[in-house]
Amino acid sequence: MVEEAATAQQIADREMIARIGQGDQSAFSALYDRLSGPLYSLAVKMLGDAGEAQDALQDVFLQIWSRAGTYDPEQSSVFSWTVLLTRSRVIDRLRARGRRLRVVAGSTDDKDADVADASTMESAADTADKNDEAARVRSLLNHLPAEQREAIELAFFGHLTHHEIAARLGQPLGTIKARIRRGLLKLRQRVRT
Amino acid sequence: MISEEQQDQAALYTLGLLNPHEAAAFESELSASDELRYFVRELREAAGDLALGAPSQSPPASLKQRVLREIAMKTERSAPTLTQRASFAWLPWAIAAMLIVFCGVLAFDRARLQRELADVRAADPLMHTIFFTLTPSGSAPADAKATVAWQPGRQSGVIRITNLPAPEPGRDYQLWAVDTAHKDPISAGIIRVDKNGVAQIRFKPVDTAQQVKAFAISLEREGGVPKKEGPILLAGTA
Repeated sequence: MVEEAATAQQIADREMIARIGQGDQSAFSALYDRLSGPLYSLAVKMLGDAGEAQDALQDVFLQIWSRAGTYDPEQSSVFSWTVLLTRSRVIDRLRARGRRLRVVAGSTDDKDADVADASTMESAADTADKNDEAARVRSLLNHLPAEQREAIELAFFGHLTHHEIAARLGQPLGTIKARIRRGLLKLRQRVRT
Repeated sequence: MISEEQQDQAALYTLGLLNPHEAAAFESELSASDELRYFVRELREAAGDLALGAPSQSPPASLKQRVLREIAMKTERSAPTLTQRASFAWLPWAIAAMLIVFCGVLAFDRARLQRELADVRAADPLMHTIFFTLTPSGSAPADAKATVAWQPGRQSGVIRITNLPAPEPGRDYQLWAVDTAHKDPISAGIIRVDKNGVAQIRFKPVDTAQQVKAFAISLEREGGVPKKEGPILLAGTA
């Protein structure tokens, strides 16, 4: 059911991207309405600054406008493509200002609301965004084994390298690589089921 | 079959954690394996899912307007052909308009210059002065010479004579204006030279000269005559 809905959405996204590639501003406006929320949320989470996140989001959508023609559906869905574009732009900004540890600290602090225990997060997500896909993913993310969730959050939101994560957590490099890989695959598997 | 090591590399590649050398090596493997490409695609989707783990927030509505404005500007900039064609289409008209304006300015300037020239001519006597050089004729000394500056508008002139000895007693030199409108020369007065044979006198013909074609000096009875009687000593045209 979820897979069918996601596929329909992915097809709609591809059509919008194709129209954007031909200079269709109404398609661009529609895609903005659909994606700006999650992409902005990602930018805020990584940057920890709403103003800077808005600037990053503007850059991302300008990039979507100019690069829509290069989108390859074989490599990823439109949503994942734009997520990775956003993350890339945010990382550029983090590198520019040299304060990426700010978000990392937040994402690894057990006292922080973002990484509260899984049951609390799941409960909050379920009650606030019961029918929301994002809430479902948050719930699934929080159901991952803690060490896997921690590793992929540090890598994805905090943009720490596997070497830095290994050093930070005092774990062997191979262990961190495996946690990232297993965490991502498990999340993907659970989202699809 | 994808090895665990490849899977680890694929995960790091998807998250952009490989260094450039490692990424290039992995991309080489990627291009050679459909299975690996599919695996990476799944990891990319997982990364997309992961983004949904961020607490939901909405950008301000003004941001969309900002982005759409920027897009509209980009579109205008990236479609120069039409704009340029339109610009070039107007160019001949613009040039023609400029030429008309330019010609108008020139005409106006020409009229202004003509007015200024007329003013200058009116203000500067030299602009209305005709010069006549009188040379010896008959019994006058060979080195005698006279120059007349004649202003028709004012019906007056100045004559300067050199090397013309004073006439014998009872005789005077008399200046004549030879005018096309008069049958006989018009008297312009008696001229008296100093002991050095030099004279510079302002004169005015006794009658209106329409178009003077020459001036002449004759030797006349003392006090002058109304109509030339004596011989011409100096004469010249303009």
